[in-house]
Amino acid sequence: MRAGVIRAYILKEFKDLARTKMLYLVYILPTMILLLFGYGIRLEVTHARTIVLDYDNSTLSLDLISALEHTKYFDAHVSTMSEQEALRLIKKGDADILVIIPASLQKRILKHQKAQIGVYIDGAYPMRALTMQSYVEGEILHLAQKLLAKRGFDGHLITINQRTLFNQAMRDENAIVPGLIGLIMLVAPALLAALLIVKEKELGTIFNFYASPIGKTEFLIAKLTPVFLLHSLNIFILFLWAVYLFAVPFRGSFTLYWLASELYLFVSLGIGLLVSIITRRQIVAVVLTVIITVIPGFLYSGILMPISSMQGASAIEAHLFPVMYYNHIVYDTFLVGEGLASHKTVLYLGILALYGAVPLVLGTLLLRKELR
Amino acid sequence: MLQVSDVTVRYGKTIAIEDANLEARHGQIVGFIGADGAGKSSLMHAIAGVVRFTGSITYDTFTYRSPKEAEPIKDKIGLMPQGIGLVLYDELSVDEHLDFFSDIRGLRRDAEYHRYRQRLLEMAGLAEFGGRLAKNLSGGMQQKLSLICTLIHRPDLLILDEPTTGVDPLSRKELWEILDDNRRQRNSITLVSTAYMSEASKMDAIHLFDEGHIIARGSAAKLIDSVRPYTYEETTCEGCITFGGRTYSLQALEAKHAEPSLESLFFVNALQKGKIPPPITIAPRENPIDIPPVVMEAKGLTKRFGDFVADDHIDMQLRRGEILGLLGANGAGKTTFIKMLLGLYPIDEGELYLLGKRIRSYEDRIALKNKIGYMSQKFALYKDLTVLENLLYFANMHQLPLSKAKKRIDKLAEGLGFAQYLHSFPRELPLGINQRFSLAVAILHEPVVLFLDEPTSGVDTIARAQFWKLLHELKNRWNISILITTHYMSEAEFCDRVVVLKRGKKIVDDTPANLHATYPEAKSFEDIFIHFYKDAR
Amino acid sequence: MRAFWSVFGKEILLFLRSFGLVAVVLYAFTADIYIAGEGIQVKPRHVKVGYVDYSGGYLANKILSHLHAPEFEKPRAFTSVEALHKAIFDKEIIVGLVFGSDFERSSYRSHRAKVDALIDATAAAQSFVTLGYLQNIVLGMSDIIFPVDLRIHKLFNQNADSKIFMSFTEMLSITTLLAVILSAMVFVKEKEEGTWDIMLLMPTNAKTIILAKALSQVLIILGGILLALGFVVLGIFDAPMNGSFWAFMLLSLLYSLTSIGIGFFIAAASRTIMQVAQLTILIMMPLIFLSGAWTPIYAMHPVLQKFSLLSPLRYYIEGSESIFFRGASILDIWPSFVAVALLGFILFVVGYRKIGRLF
Repeated sequence: MRAGVIRAYILKEFKDLARTKMLYLVYILPTMILLLFGYGIRLEVTHARTIVLDYDNSTLSLDLISALEHTKYFDAHVSTMSEQEALRLIKKGDADILVIIPASLQKRILKHQKAQIGVYIDGAYPMRALTMQSYVEGEILHLAQKLLAKRGFDGHLITINQRTLFNQAMRDENAIVPGLIGLIMLVAPALLAALLIVKEKELGTIFNFYASPIGKTEFLIAKLTPVFLLHSLNIFILFLWAVYLFAVPFRGSFTLYWLASELYLFVSLGIGLLVSIITRRQIVAVVLTVIITVIPGFLYSGILMPISSMQGASAIEAHLFPVMYYNHIVYDTFLVGEGLASHKTVLYLGILALYGAVPLVLGTLLLRKELR
Repeated sequence: MLQVSDVTVRYGKTIAIEDANLEARHGQIVGFIGADGAGKSSLMHAIAGVVRFTGSITYDTFTYRSPKEAEPIKDKIGLMPQGIGLVLYDELSVDEHLDFFSDIRGLRRDAEYHRYRQRLLEMAGLAEFGGRLAKNLSGGMQQKLSLICTLIHRPDLLILDEPTTGVDPLSRKELWEILDDNRRQRNSITLVSTAYMSEASKMDAIHLFDEGHIIARGSAAKLIDSVRPYTYEETTCEGCITFGGRTYSLQALEAKHAEPSLESLFFVNALQKGKIPPPITIAPRENPIDIPPVVMEAKGLTKRFGDFVADDHIDMQLRRGEILGLLGANGAGKTTFIKMLLGLYPIDEGELYLLGKRIRSYEDRIALKNKIGYMSQKFALYKDLTVLENLLYFANMHQLPLSKAKKRIDKLAEGLGFAQYLHSFPRELPLGINQRFSLAVAILHEPVVLFLDEPTSGVDTIARAQFWKLLHELKNRWNISILITTHYMSEAEFCDRVVVLKRGKKIVDDTPANLHATYPEAKSFEDIFIHFYKDAR
Repeated sequence: MRAFWSVFGKEILLFLRSFGLVAVVLYAFTADIYIAGEGIQVKPRHVKVGYVDYSGGYLANKILSHLHAPEFEKPRAFTSVEALHKAIFDKEIIVGLVFGSDFERSSYRSHRAKVDALIDATAAAQSFVTLGYLQNIVLGMSDIIFPVDLRIHKLFNQNADSKIFMSFTEMLSITTLLAVILSAMVFVKEKEEGTWDIMLLMPTNAKTIILAKALSQVLIILGGILLALGFVVLGIFDAPMNGSFWAFMLLSLLYSLTSIGIGFFIAAASRTIMQVAQLTILIMMPLIFLSGAWTPIYAMHPVLQKFSLLSPLRYYIEGSESIFFRGASILDIWPSFVAVALLGFILFVVGYRKIGRLF
């Protein structure tokens, strides 16, 4: 191991990255993904455009409408248009919900007769439709309960006293942004690491490695160190965006977040290294890296679906991909703050270390200092 | 002392070089010659310890049988693989390259190092370009930089794979001076492969490669002697090859014996292997046309890239039925000039007349495109179309009626000798065949003028010989005018007239015969060229 | 015209001959869309529930028995609230129910009972919906005559089938990505392989060559859309087709031209295929995200909403969805058609000029 040799290689990589403008990509891409996803993905629905057709015009119906108007979830407008016209508005994508209050609602309820309220929801975005449905139900049922209570109803009634942990405000940012860090720190370093070696293969400069007395380990250290250093900075940049721009609370230990991220960086580097060993062309390396990191990084990150509710094959896959272990620690440091007190965190750190070590060792063994 | 014993290199199932044996002593320069794909590079890679092989290689007292075993002596080896500027990094400057190559070899930066480094830079003529990025260097400069980067750690075993291909004669000469100097100073072993026989003839020993075997070896004189019995003065006969004023035959002929050259080796080898190149015939034009006596005339043609003047007020005439050789160092402005003629670059200054018409606008060109044929150094073909599909596509683009196009393609394929390859893909074919079929593409529409940009670079001796026969046949049958650039100075002799460009200016415009008469002391055209370049420096 | 068909045919042939490219396009229009459709379930599935029961009674068991597959896993019992908390911390469960010791008693005595529900809201999406389910179950348990009957109709996509939705938007995103990459590639490949100069020297005007190249890629893209539509979206996922097929194809055609305009820009700026890949990633990411493919536009940050007006994919998705799910006719959604056509016209013409300058 000769420090001078490694330093020379690293210096060359930095110059090359800076002069080919790749350096911009190293910092633009992660931030761009975080901003776009962070601002772009909304799981909560607010201001659903709601049309109310009130055929009853009673105190009850007005209570109902004002209840709808007074939440941030609905932008309710009472209208006198026909049902057909209202449905057409939904068809054109100009409205989300149509609530039809029948003419005799109050009368029927007072007479203990059943009354029907019609609700039409735009189902084109399923996630959104489900959420809107639960809001409408919640709002109307809540109102009905209040009415019943006022009138001294005495049946059995069970209520749910809801307490959400970690993300009390139920903010989407809190749920999404930490998961995005896990996705970005998997994709971006792997992409750069894969390119750095394949590029030399495709251009032919790899001969400088083959034909000189540089050791395999020296070469790999020289190739991976720039990526490691450059992306280590991204760990801090992404943290700052998350905490200050997206206002995600940070309850855990920063040291833990930092250490886990550096470990995770090794995992990403290892993946990039393996890709660059098996490919010969830059374009193939890019496509392969994207395929094997983006899909699992997103699907198994826990952003869209909790790992615990995955079954069978997908649960096994989730446990195979490193992103799950890292995201557990990241969510913990941001939202929970239990840190090393939890055995699971310690275990996952260990698993991450293993995931970092195995590809690197494997890559060192597989890398051949000869033409193929 | 380098000893190579029974070395075989395989890539999958194909054998690149089989049971090669070789010996080289310190202070020797050993040349490798042979067609592309003959196994020269593979043997070099094996010796440099960058590819797996069977057999053994002994350097002095150290023996290795695999790249891994070769690791301890890589300090002593310098390898420069094939390809212009292959080992250079586009975004690093000349100085940064030398720093990098010194550092990865762990060199100590003492006074002696700096003296040596400065001397290399000066020999390569790069001393004043220390800050220039590799991507902004000309091909010749890139090769010289690659060479001094390979020399910076003073290797005792220097392995250079076609260091001079695509490099102009002057740079080539300078490269050889560096090599010669290194050999004298270091008493090193140097292995060089080359496509230029003029270079090979200066080496201490030559190995001739063919289809994965070393088929002949010895000094240039000894090898030339070996083919003397088969070399005659130009004559006609059955089962012979005639090229460059000589006829080669395995049977005794009536004609007088002629003095062979190293090129003769290839022709005799082809005869011995029974691979006689097919005769080349060109059918007369289907649509005879009147051609003006001056096909192309440039008056003060100028092209600038920013501050840099690529072509500086060049006057040139291309006459009917003339082959005009355009020569010059890398970066002298040859390709830029041809691209201006073709309309691929706009003309900054000057007048251009094609077929007597002044060319001013895009429309003028469109009207003339059917009269021009062009072939670039990359043999621009669609790699995923078969030879026939390529030809049909170009025929369509030239609006040739289908039945006529098919007939013409058949005739060309027959005449140019690639009829059996019509349904193959270009990548499956040897470079020489691709070159001929690219020419077929360029002449499919029966143009009156042909622009050829380094059509022979990287092509082996016999294919080059065939190609020149073809050009002369075209000239005789069609009265076509040809403008051709080349780095093989021996090919300048086949031109009717040569023009030499230097740094964007025209410095010579004369016939080869006149030039030889003016410089009687020159042994070859290469000497004349170098003379011009040195003179005006 | 002959030159046009000659270039057109050559491009199609070159495409079919490049095995890797065909494989990628086929994969993208079939398997990738299938995976996107199958991969993500938005309805709660196998939600892991834990509970602590201090009431030890019949009522708690009755509630728990309503939590069953496929929405819920069989609830796990914990001995203390601390253990329940820890399980949530460790993500072993995402919902924890606590039945207090007076739960059963108060239910009988005062007819009022409370269940504490702990929900892991770091999985916000699932939490929202799980809450709704729980509320419904508990309400159903409540022994009341509830006077109001809610009739909820989900329009267009009755069971809120995420498979149809995800596969559909993935198809539109893939269309964009491939149209841009392929059209940039047909030009840059010529540059990289050195056939560019030869192409310029053909006695054919630039217009014919550019149009033939562009339209050949449109054909490939439209073929891919048909494949994806027939086999995956309508075939495997059985999506409804409420509107006119031809209206959708017309919109797709207009949109391909838009994407190809973007491809022209990239082709004009790139010298190598590597640069095409980089530029495409940089341009396409925002374009796809701003389009509403992943999240509805009015739910975005207001600044991003403004930017989304510039994404042609936005109008393509809006228009296509209206045609498929809402059964809208061209007249209903003429703004989408006009927007796609307008953006397409601008991008195509400007991109065409850019690439034309190279000729």
